[in-house]
Amino acid sequence: MQTKRLTRDALLAAIALVIFVVELQLPSPVPIPGVKLGLANVITVASMFLMGPGDTLMILLVRILLGSIFAGQMMALIYSLSGGMLCFLAMLLLRRILTMRQIWVCSVIGAIFHNIGQVLAAMAVTSTPQLAVYLPVLLVSGIITGVLTGLTAQFAANRLKLHPFFSHKP
Amino acid sequence: MISTKKWVAIIGVILLLSAGAALYLSFRGASGTVANVYQDGKCIYSVDLSEVEEPFTLSVSCEDGTNTIAIEPGRICIQDADCPDQVCVKSGWLKNSASPIVCLPHKLVIRLENSPDSANTIDAVAK
Amino acid sequence: MKRLAAFLLMLVLLTGCAPKQVSTTVFAMDTVMKLSVYGDEAVLDEAEALIHQLEAQVSVTREGSELYSLNHTGSGTVTGHAKELLDRALALCSRTDGALDISIYPVVRSWGFTTGEYRVPDEEALASLLSHVDYKKIDFDAGSGAVSLSPDMEIDLGSVTKGYLSSCLIALFRENGITSALVNLGGNVQALGTKPDGSLWQVAVQDPKNDSYLGVLSIADQAVITSGGYERYFEEDGKTYWHIIDPATGAPAQSGLISVTIVGTDGTTCDALSTALFVMGLENAADFWTASDDFEAIFVTEDNTVYITQGLQDSFTLSEDHSKMELQVITRD
Repeated sequence: MQTKRLTRDALLAAIALVIFVVELQLPSPVPIPGVKLGLANVITVASMFLMGPGDTLMILLVRILLGSIFAGQMMALIYSLSGGMLCFLAMLLLRRILTMRQIWVCSVIGAIFHNIGQVLAAMAVTSTPQLAVYLPVLLVSGIITGVLTGLTAQFAANRLKLHPFFSHKP
Repeated sequence: MISTKKWVAIIGVILLLSAGAALYLSFRGASGTVANVYQDGKCIYSVDLSEVEEPFTLSVSCEDGTNTIAIEPGRICIQDADCPDQVCVKSGWLKNSASPIVCLPHKLVIRLENSPDSANTIDAVAK
Repeated sequence: MKRLAAFLLMLVLLTGCAPKQVSTTVFAMDTVMKLSVYGDEAVLDEAEALIHQLEAQVSVTREGSELYSLNHTGSGTVTGHAKELLDRALALCSRTDGALDISIYPVVRSWGFTTGEYRVPDEEALASLLSHVDYKKIDFDAGSGAVSLSPDMEIDLGSVTKGYLSSCLIALFRENGITSALVNLGGNVQALGTKPDGSLWQVAVQDPKNDSYLGVLSIADQAVITSGGYERYFEEDGKTYWHIIDPATGAPAQSGLISVTIVGTDGTTCDALSTALFVMGLENAADFWTASDDFEAIFVTEDNTVYITQGLQDSFTLSEDHSKMELQVITRD
């Protein structure tokens, strides 16, 4: 079982990484630091509901670490990590109270916390509390993209849960 | 379990509040005409944009790279940078806005304020 | 959160009780003067009037100024600030043993530094002009203000005027109850007190070789005045000639120094010494400093070494991009 689990998590991490790297190549639609589609979040949200928090955390950490290296910006690691961790904690709590038809909510709330984490990290790194003015804009974009990636994750999870590959629940 | 309707309502409220705040912030002008350039949270340069007569540029370097800042009468922008995301360059001119120009990879922030940052700036140059 | 709270608190404190900063820019004496005062705006009008009054008295190019008529008739009377300034200038000429000489003016003019039409004067003409240079031959009565110059002599107080002016402005501000001000007369800087928040003024010193800052001085109640060959110069046949003339040779001072910064409480002294010590060269300047107690100095030599006097050890720091430069401290023992 361990080998299957390792293979599965590695596969999902690789998919998340590819999505992340591809998204890096897309030009940023608005010149506001931190605004992006967050497509890799589809994997995080889906695996949260398919496999639970332990596996999801591993996939998320691998994706963030390798993603920062591939992007060539170790500075980005701090922002991604603080955003990613806050988002993960929010999902951890939500997971218990959401049905399989409400997965998209998890993505949206996760995105909100991701944005909060990012802005807090940016404020700390640059010692500029005024960066908080970006939070509302980030939240608007985070909620919209969160709904879209959340629905994607929801459809994917509801189909994939029937597959034997994901039948193992810790 | 909380019904999906309730979730939609909660998220809708957050969205509206954020959008309102974002609109308010984007229409609220800057508090002043002095552009303070911060690196690593330290003010390294201040210029009163209302007193600039000739356009000029300024290079700011850090371990990770360089940003070239262009200053013209009444406005300031990051003209060129070797950071990976180029968000700071795409931000364009900072003229009368409460939102700063930020280059997160280089920890660089340009803010409009009503006075030069008093903590770290140079008050005068003896020459 | 703590940081944010501290920031907000600071914001409240700063806007709450600090006196308002008022500033003005004055174009006078061929330069830009910036006066910043924490206090009442009315005093700036007085300051501006003082600047124009002094310029009208001691300009060597403005017809009708006291100095103009003195130079053109060989004798005359100086009054008020001009009298005080001439008195101080002559004292500083003798203190520096002629390294500063206010009668060098005709020589400076022959190099074109006063008009911008630069040229290397021919030797004979220079020798003849130089023979009239001697501040000791100026006959000045400090009581009445009567001055007479020896034949063919002309004087210019340009090397001390801005320092004197900055001291006068600071005195004016002080009389008006102001405790915090900074004047920058085209690069001659003088501070009154500290900043309103009690912190020291940060005065950068220009790097003589390029446009960056050599380092930063933290000062209160002091003047910072720099003389350097980079301020005004021209090149001819591959040689650089700058505006600081050695009264002994009549040629640009080749002392091995490329910039001298003087820090002290009296602007006039600082202004005069920045020129005089540039002419003297590092060794004599260091001896001069050892024998004095009213100023500190920063020297930059041609080989790009920075020398600072003992008293500046704690207040001067090389800027980050200059931290690799060699920094030597000159001590009294």
